[in-house]
Amino acid sequence: MRRRHTCDIVVVGAGPAGLSAAQAAAEKGLDVVVVDANSRPGGQYYMQPLAAGSAFARSTQVMRGKTEVRNATAAGVTMLLATEVWGAFPGFVFHAQDPDGAVCIESKAVIVATGAHDRVQAFPGWTLPGVMTPGAGQRLAKTSGVPPGRRTVLAGSGPFLLPVAGTVLKAGGTLVEVVEARSSLLPTLPLIAVHPDKWLETLRLVFPILAARTRLRFGEVVVAASGEERVREVELAPLDAGGQPDLARRRVVSDIDALLVGFGFQPQIELTAVLGCRHHFDEEAGGWCCTVMRDCGATDICGVFAAGEVCGVGGAVPAALSGRIAGLAAAGQILDEETALERRSLVRRLQRARRFAGGLNRRFMPPSGVAEILSDETIICRCEDVTAGEIRKEIAGGMDTIHGVKLWTRAGMGPCQARFCGWSLARLVAEETGKTMGEIGFSRPRIPLRPVPLNVVRDSIL
Amino acid sequence: MSRTAEVIVVGAGIVGSAIGAELALLGHDVMIVEQGVPGAAVSGASLACIGSHMIDVEELPLLAWARDAWRTLDEEVGGFDYNPCGQLRFVLNKQDLAVARAWIEVERSAGLNVELLVPAQVREVEPSLTGPVLAASWSRDDAVVNPFLAVRALLDRARDCGARLETHCRVDSLIEREGKIAGVRCATTDMSAEHVVLAAGPWTARLAAGLGMNLPIRPRKAQCLATVRIPPSIRRVVGACESDGGVEAGYTQIQQTRNGQVLFNTVLADGLVDDGAQDRIPEVDAAFIRDSVGTLLFLFPDLRSVRLLRSWVRFEAVTPDNRFLIGPLGPEGLWVAAGDCGAGFTRAPAIARLIGQMLGDDRPAFDTTLYAPDRFSCESPTST
Repeated sequence: MRRRHTCDIVVVGAGPAGLSAAQAAAEKGLDVVVVDANSRPGGQYYMQPLAAGSAFARSTQVMRGKTEVRNATAAGVTMLLATEVWGAFPGFVFHAQDPDGAVCIESKAVIVATGAHDRVQAFPGWTLPGVMTPGAGQRLAKTSGVPPGRRTVLAGSGPFLLPVAGTVLKAGGTLVEVVEARSSLLPTLPLIAVHPDKWLETLRLVFPILAARTRLRFGEVVVAASGEERVREVELAPLDAGGQPDLARRRVVSDIDALLVGFGFQPQIELTAVLGCRHHFDEEAGGWCCTVMRDCGATDICGVFAAGEVCGVGGAVPAALSGRIAGLAAAGQILDEETALERRSLVRRLQRARRFAGGLNRRFMPPSGVAEILSDETIICRCEDVTAGEIRKEIAGGMDTIHGVKLWTRAGMGPCQARFCGWSLARLVAEETGKTMGEIGFSRPRIPLRPVPLNVVRDSIL
Repeated sequence: MSRTAEVIVVGAGIVGSAIGAELALLGHDVMIVEQGVPGAAVSGASLACIGSHMIDVEELPLLAWARDAWRTLDEEVGGFDYNPCGQLRFVLNKQDLAVARAWIEVERSAGLNVELLVPAQVREVEPSLTGPVLAASWSRDDAVVNPFLAVRALLDRARDCGARLETHCRVDSLIEREGKIAGVRCATTDMSAEHVVLAAGPWTARLAAGLGMNLPIRPRKAQCLATVRIPPSIRRVVGACESDGGVEAGYTQIQQTRNGQVLFNTVLADGLVDDGAQDRIPEVDAAFIRDSVGTLLFLFPDLRSVRLLRSWVRFEAVTPDNRFLIGPLGPEGLWVAAGDCGAGFTRAPAIARLIGQMLGDDRPAFDTTLYAPDRFSCESPTST
């Protein structure tokens, strides 16, 4: 039967934002419950290894994560792990499932800190085993200690490629090449130069890649992958002056067994969307973001706060700061206590951190030309087997929004509910219609947020 | 910019699409104007049962004809997953049993193929229905269609006959000149026409109100749930026989689509809301989820570990007597075909036929007084 928790504040997500938010609110004397789908707290950033004696067990990030978790627990925060929220209903009633079944949490306010997920780029061959996102490859390596493959090509764009490269090497894998779509890293230097606090981190990220003499390539993108039971080859093409892949000049890298391709992250807005919060499109911040007041994390729905990547992708530093801000503000609202003074310096630091993150994101915007590399046979939605050709047919017939294309092709209607195909689908529709990603909208999440067994649902709602 | 057609059909749901196809087939110059994506507002969210069982005794001639018309459409056009799977209505108590018997008697005397099944027979017709039902009525000629593909098939047919379709074009108001309809006004353009047919479901009343007419159509929250794909488990459309009758008393519909998803809902609350609710789609209610999952697992306990994947909400157009409004309205040349009450799919071909006949001054094939737009009040809803 279901287990029930009542608390003042429920925090969804136990990454940097969620842990900071929970700790801040609990230190105000409130009853705080943190819910996270993973069996260890920490999120993607502070990811805790599952395998004992893993090469990652004592990394700086893991140790900092342990400290954050300890601090939150010491402040009295209750952690519900391996617990996935599938429903949110009026009156701050949240339904979740854990390995033992139904869990119901009732609160007075909620802080959504659900983070971000990889932007998955479709290309011919992307559904082959061995092809995954950098985030998935990193998770695999960090939790199990095993690299994603013996010989890996890592491609895409953005600063996240650096830590993933480091992780693959540390787990004992061979990095055949790291391929960054931007033609040079030089434009990032002035930005890093004016943020001295980032110098050490940058060196720490770059050093293992240089030390391993990994081959670095710039200005190229993956245009296809091939292999029989598993990926064996990847085709890369340089970007021309207009930022489009020049397919005539493509080259092949062979003898690989893993291909990680990623273009940064997009906010995970399912829960804020189901709660009815306003969202806006911000390309630099990863796409559709939950709209919040920056000085308190409040959304436009009373009692619903959001913190971290769900409000715009920026990494762990702004996430933790915005978490603390939202935790204080949410606690202040419940206690009817003014917390603006406590938040003031945090807000200033958040602004600075967001500026850096925005600058970085701006320098690693994904290249255009997705439509170019997708053949009509390329599957976009793997749950419902919808190809690029079928989507193009609907666009030619007049569909010019994600909503319309989805209804008429079923793309994004399967078990992943567009988490895998959403970004590729949006880029394809935008490029084929000539509209912006903001104009074509997003695939609207609905209850349940994740597939949930019917008997758990039955036990949940009395 | 101005455009002209002989007939403008407002709305590309199942009703507007059927009317567009029918009028184009009859040789009219038709323009279908849709505010969003065809079928996306209400029709696409329907469980799209094509049936005549336990709906309305007086409407039986129309329902029976419409059901056959769907079969003919499948033979002629096809491509919309027409599945003549039949419909079961489960009975849980003696009171409902008497109601089921009464319906069956009436429908059989009207020539329909309906019978009452005892539990052992229910298992033969629907082996996975292992819940403790007392009996079930069995209407073997009922069917189900894929709602989107059905809308598409009708729109394709309309376009093949020369009809035009404008999507993402919202009609803001109707244009009337000297007691006659003159066209419609959209955000960026006026369109002129001799006839305008309002098939805009829950948005119909607002358009009529612009000409001072008060149509008794209210939006009602319609909700549905879907599981992930599973191997074939449910063969029929499974519904409830409710002694109180009518949708307000509650209804159940359960079916499995061709791709393997189980679609189901059980609605116990009346769900009527004020006009305007249809413009912003909310989430499903917790009580609705409880009732729907509860009923599904009561009937099909073996589905308990199947995962729920998706929910959706739409607003259907409800009239006081659960019948459509079909016929002339106010100024000459204005027609209405709205008020689905959650059962528009079956009737759509018959509504299209009626509109075609009325618009062409032919004798209507069905009793139009049942659907007269002015049937609810002494003072008729004409323009003021």
